[in-house]
Amino acid sequence: MISSQPLSPIHGLLEAMHPLWSSETSEAKRVIRIDQRDEERAAILGLADLSHQNRAGAKGRGTAEWLSKLGVTIPSQANSWCPLPSGGLVARLGNTEFLVENDATLVEKIMQTQRAPGVYPVLHQDAAFGLCGARVNELLLQTCNIDFRMLDAQPSKVVLTSIAGVGITILSKTNGKYPSYRIWCDGTYGIYLWETLAEIATELGGGCIGVDAVQ
Amino acid sequence: MKIMTCPINGARPVSEFFCWGEIRPMPDPDTCSDDEWAAYVFNRNGAPGVKKEWWCHTASNTWFIAERDTEKDVVLNTYLFEGEIR
Repeated sequence: MISSQPLSPIHGLLEAMHPLWSSETSEAKRVIRIDQRDEERAAILGLADLSHQNRAGAKGRGTAEWLSKLGVTIPSQANSWCPLPSGGLVARLGNTEFLVENDATLVEKIMQTQRAPGVYPVLHQDAAFGLCGARVNELLLQTCNIDFRMLDAQPSKVVLTSIAGVGITILSKTNGKYPSYRIWCDGTYGIYLWETLAEIATELGGGCIGVDAVQ
Repeated sequence: MKIMTCPINGARPVSEFFCWGEIRPMPDPDTCSDDEWAAYVFNRNGAPGVKKEWWCHTASNTWFIAERDTEKDVVLNTYLFEGEIR
């Protein structure tokens, strides 16, 4: 049910950039900063790796009720998400599947609690990326058939689609000046998708950034 | 671009889907004749017309049924499967 990833699926690519890593030992390592120009790139088009975050997945007819009993507020509609009080989020993928991304406490609780009948674990060894900046929609229009500007009017919507041929889950976390999105894909596609998005981001004047610069 | 409408995810380009073929109820192998069983295993209906087919939205792995007029190449209806195929 849980995937606590010691290393990001794109760890090797990140390491080659010689970034500033987090110093925590109990959590998966994450890139705090690539270089001094992170904020500058983030304003134009920033791509950050968020694969280190704790996440858990479950699906089945009994999952909504089971998560509610654990104190997790769940979205009422399919393909929507809601924030959690501790800063994470719950995404409802279809009618009966859920993705919880939060601090280790809640994710551990979900992992260790006995599952109810009709609740099945979903392994999430995902690559997770953050995209932000003024030109982010130009990148998405180049790689996907969906116009993500519609998410500005429906901020709680989750979209399951494909980007550059990879099946992804995407949602809008825009709450500042520029649009911002979160993307999850199967970890085995992580390197390909990161390289593809990073190449386009660089062409558009942005590039890779650390988690501190993600808006 | 051809558009298919997933009952959960809405209208999407058909490149996000694949077709698993016409819904074909399986005859009871214990009671059907050899000819009926052979027809089920080996034969497919290639005649154009309105057909019910299994389709899958690959990005979300949503399986659903599409009623499609294969003569006019028009999708008439899509909906989630409920119950058993009879």
